[in-house]
Amino acid sequence: MYNLEMINTIKNYPDWVKEYRKEKLKNFNEASIPSWKRINIGEITLPEYRDYYKSFIKPTKKQEGVYIEETIKGLNDFNNFNKLNNLNNLNKYLSVEESYGVSDKFVAFGEALFNSGFLIKIDRKTKAEEIIKMKYTLDEANPLVIDHNIIVGEEDSEVTVVIDYSSDDGGNSQVFHNGITKVFAKDGAKINIIKIQRLNNKAINLDSNITFIGRDAQVNWVLIDIGGEINVVNYISNLEGVESQSNLKSIYLGDGESKQDLSYTMNHKGMRSLSKIEARGALKDNAKKVFRGNLDFKKGSRRSKGDEAEYVLLLDKNVRSHSIPVLFSHEDDVEGNHAASAGQIDANQLFYLMSRGLKEKEAKKLIVEASFSHILDDIPDLELREVVDAEIHRRLVYV
Amino acid sequence: MEKKKTYVEDIDRGIYDVKNEVRYSYKSEKGLTAKIVEEISKTKNEPQWMTDFRLKSLEIYNKKPIPTWGADLSELDIENIVTYIKPDTEMKHSWEDVPEDIKKTFDLLGIPQAERASLAGVGAQYDSEVVYHNMREDLAKQGVIYTDMETAIKDYEEIVKDYFMKLVPPNDHKFAALHGAVWSGGSFVYVPEGVNVDIPLQSYFRLNAPGAGQFEHTLIIVEKGANLHFIEGCSAPKHSVINLHAGCVELFVKEDARLRYSTIENWSRNMYNLNTKRAVVDRNGIIEWVSGSFGSRVSMLYPMSILRGEGAKSEFTGITFASKGQYLDTGTKVVHAAPYTTSSVNSKSISKGGGHAFYRGLLRVAPNAHNCKSTVSCESLMLDNESRSDTLPIIELNNDNIDIGHEAKIGRISDEAIFYLMSRGISEEEAKAMIVRGFVEPISKELPLEYAVEMNNLIKLELEGAIG
Amino acid sequence: MANKLLTITNLTTKVEDKEILKGLNLEVNKGEIHVIMGPNGAGKSTLAYTLMGHPRYEVVEGDILWEDEIINELSPDERAKKGIFLSFQHPEEIPGITVENFLRTAKAAITEKNQSILAFNKLLREKAQLLSIDEKYLSRYLNEGFSGGEKKKNEILQMAVLEPKLAILDETDSGLDVDAIKIVAEGVKKIKEEETAIIIITHHNKILDYLKPDVVHVLLEGKVVKTGDMTLAREIEASGYEELKNQFSIK
Repeated sequence: MYNLEMINTIKNYPDWVKEYRKEKLKNFNEASIPSWKRINIGEITLPEYRDYYKSFIKPTKKQEGVYIEETIKGLNDFNNFNKLNNLNNLNKYLSVEESYGVSDKFVAFGEALFNSGFLIKIDRKTKAEEIIKMKYTLDEANPLVIDHNIIVGEEDSEVTVVIDYSSDDGGNSQVFHNGITKVFAKDGAKINIIKIQRLNNKAINLDSNITFIGRDAQVNWVLIDIGGEINVVNYISNLEGVESQSNLKSIYLGDGESKQDLSYTMNHKGMRSLSKIEARGALKDNAKKVFRGNLDFKKGSRRSKGDEAEYVLLLDKNVRSHSIPVLFSHEDDVEGNHAASAGQIDANQLFYLMSRGLKEKEAKKLIVEASFSHILDDIPDLELREVVDAEIHRRLVYV
Repeated sequence: MEKKKTYVEDIDRGIYDVKNEVRYSYKSEKGLTAKIVEEISKTKNEPQWMTDFRLKSLEIYNKKPIPTWGADLSELDIENIVTYIKPDTEMKHSWEDVPEDIKKTFDLLGIPQAERASLAGVGAQYDSEVVYHNMREDLAKQGVIYTDMETAIKDYEEIVKDYFMKLVPPNDHKFAALHGAVWSGGSFVYVPEGVNVDIPLQSYFRLNAPGAGQFEHTLIIVEKGANLHFIEGCSAPKHSVINLHAGCVELFVKEDARLRYSTIENWSRNMYNLNTKRAVVDRNGIIEWVSGSFGSRVSMLYPMSILRGEGAKSEFTGITFASKGQYLDTGTKVVHAAPYTTSSVNSKSISKGGGHAFYRGLLRVAPNAHNCKSTVSCESLMLDNESRSDTLPIIELNNDNIDIGHEAKIGRISDEAIFYLMSRGISEEEAKAMIVRGFVEPISKELPLEYAVEMNNLIKLELEGAIG
Repeated sequence: MANKLLTITNLTTKVEDKEILKGLNLEVNKGEIHVIMGPNGAGKSTLAYTLMGHPRYEVVEGDILWEDEIINELSPDERAKKGIFLSFQHPEEIPGITVENFLRTAKAAITEKNQSILAFNKLLREKAQLLSIDEKYLSRYLNEGFSGGEKKKNEILQMAVLEPKLAILDETDSGLDVDAIKIVAEGVKKIKEEETAIIIITHHNKILDYLKPDVVHVLLEGKVVKTGDMTLAREIEASGYEELKNQFSIK
């Protein structure tokens, strides 16, 4: 069982942070571990608490109106941080009213015991010139990342954040990532987030994300999930303002014994809000996955439009692919579309490539990569793009 | 011109709302006990195995919880529903012998006309017992059996025993168990090997006693290479007490056989329609569902096809129209349990006046079912912003050698389409009606003419409330 | 004047708060063929939609005079009944309604006379033949799955059946190859009565080889800036709109 004394830095915290963590820990103890249906994840063994000692924020040039801080430092020195960075009412960003995430249990876990994470705030009318990059590397010495991230884009601001989770010790250690990311895009703000999860084959990855999008604001996600044995991710976008927007593009690759539960929700609340979900996946070996895409047009979301599409390539006979694409509508003047397709690699495409001299395996690999490429093109960091390409390539070798 | 009124209640439901005085020879106690179930069985002079089956079902029923998903069933007071009502008439074989008031209702429902329109047979159910039944002679000569379930148990006991509730066992869900305990009436059809029944067989089910539940059982067996089209039509008058319909349909489609099962349901707006329909299809057999859901207060209806033979095929075509006060949770389930099976689903829904249409579907491909193909299309049209429309399809794929396409759409009639039609001289109201008719056309073209006309009339009545 | 059909004076329209037509003047007499040319965004399609009464196109100033009656406020179906026809640039696809059924309904609405199925189908088949349209299209759903060319031919078929006094052809030639343009243009010629007026909206001159225009207008920034004859169309084909833009100091 966990207690706050396990956290080495706890004594340095101001009382209110201790209280906050204590309350969340209580929530955690009261909630039960969910039995994720459909892909039979089974009981998740909770890891021993460990601090995360590595630095994970890549340094950027200092820019007026752009504030980046580790969550732990930011909270420890809250008064100072608050004054310096003008991040008003941090409290309202720390706790979100609605239930969200992969499960109440793991959201409380992250909020009570976070050992890393960052706070980003972009001032009004400020555009962050540099891409802000986070890199968490898990290994035997640092097998646990519980990151609690908050991104606030004030009115008409703009920022791009890249978050990369990897395990680079040859893939043999049992690593565990439980993340929480809360994103607040105020009116007119534009926030782009690229998240890459390329953990090893033993990894457990649980990731909860919630977004609030104001008038004319947009939050765009590019999600690359190509690692982990158990990968449960949940993204909720609340399109609250008039003409708010959210685009979510996702690539998933399941191999070996991996199990993935991917859940993407767009809650349309504001008028003329716009959302798009596009998921492209490939499953091989004994991989299992369930895709849950929800487009929910709430009362008041008149003239909104939402699209969701999922395309999955099935590469082996033992794969399991479940999809539950849902459309909910409380308004008539909306447009909701869903398309899905699933099947093997197109025989004609394969034949065409092989007629040009490619071996079957190479051809298949090429087709899978091709189906991912336009999403991969959205990774703004060339170096990282290459790393991801190589990782996908490696995992597809045994197609 | 006088404006048409807006709400469903204001529409004259005309011939669908003629109510007869309740005049019954036997009425069971309210609530459900083993004693009642035994009495039902005794009144029907059933063999012991059926009595036992009913009692076993009752046990399961008492243990099973009410489903927590889908519709709100909290207002459904099963204890208060008189589960068995025997009409004051015995089986009649000629139209002249049917009592005058019942005849009048059937007249209004168009049953004799339908027969005159050369339908093969009419088994019309008045409350729980079949009161009128007739069959074309040449079909009987070919060995086709079409009778009510009570007669079937007496005359064809061995066949019934082999199939009855084997496809929908009582432990499937609470209402299947209830059905197993108190079922009454319904149709039995047996089409022998190679026989092609070239004219649709038709049956009308109807509820008329306040508080009466209806639990008719339909069992259809289409043997190897045979062909049948069966039509189930429902239309019930309005009542103030909550009514429950928990019927059960079991369809066995053998090798190379083909069965089309068409339904237009227009239950009165206080009905809880919790019907279970299921088909199992053998090698190269075909099941075709055509399903129209217009009535009831609450429907939970998901006809299921189990494709267990190689090359078996299912086609589902459905339309759901939810108006004020209605929650219609409908859809279909397809299980591909064998290789080379194919399925297609084409579902359309319309919601208006605060109605809630919910499409719920399941597509499951078993691990061994390679080379399967399936296409699913769900379209929802919303006619105003008081209404709700939801689509929840579940797709479970358990092998790689399959080809699955799925699409769903929710929206309203496009302004551009209305403008286009208006630019050709057509009024706005007519333009909207045309677009809605076009929307349901893929379903209405699958129906026999008189049903298509009935459905179009229903839609017209609904729309005249919606437009203006 | 008995010949007068359409007079547009100082027409100014808005689409979602944006002014597109800015004081447009145009006069079309019975039997005349007019051409309206102009670069993208000049307001050509806006003019077509405004004349047909699309609810999104709001007339904020000026008048549309049809046979001496102001029709600014009429709904699209009322305009159709008066004899205005628009061949759409992008005809809508309406699933579930056959071409046949739709046109019979439209014809009945415009003439305010019930159309007997047999007589109407005979008429429809004659017109289809005239335009070399395969009969099978008549029982297909309206524009659903039609190719670009088939859609345009279908528009002209509708014109043939509805017999308008004024047909506005909004880029009826766009997206068609030379053979298809010929079929469509000659079809229009065949069905055009002595008194039928036509407004052709186009980018190209190809269609004008078959339909000889009486008047050519150039539309720039929501106004008719120049009017002439076929020579004007040839000039524009040769040198584009740049010179005219400079002349009217439009960037």
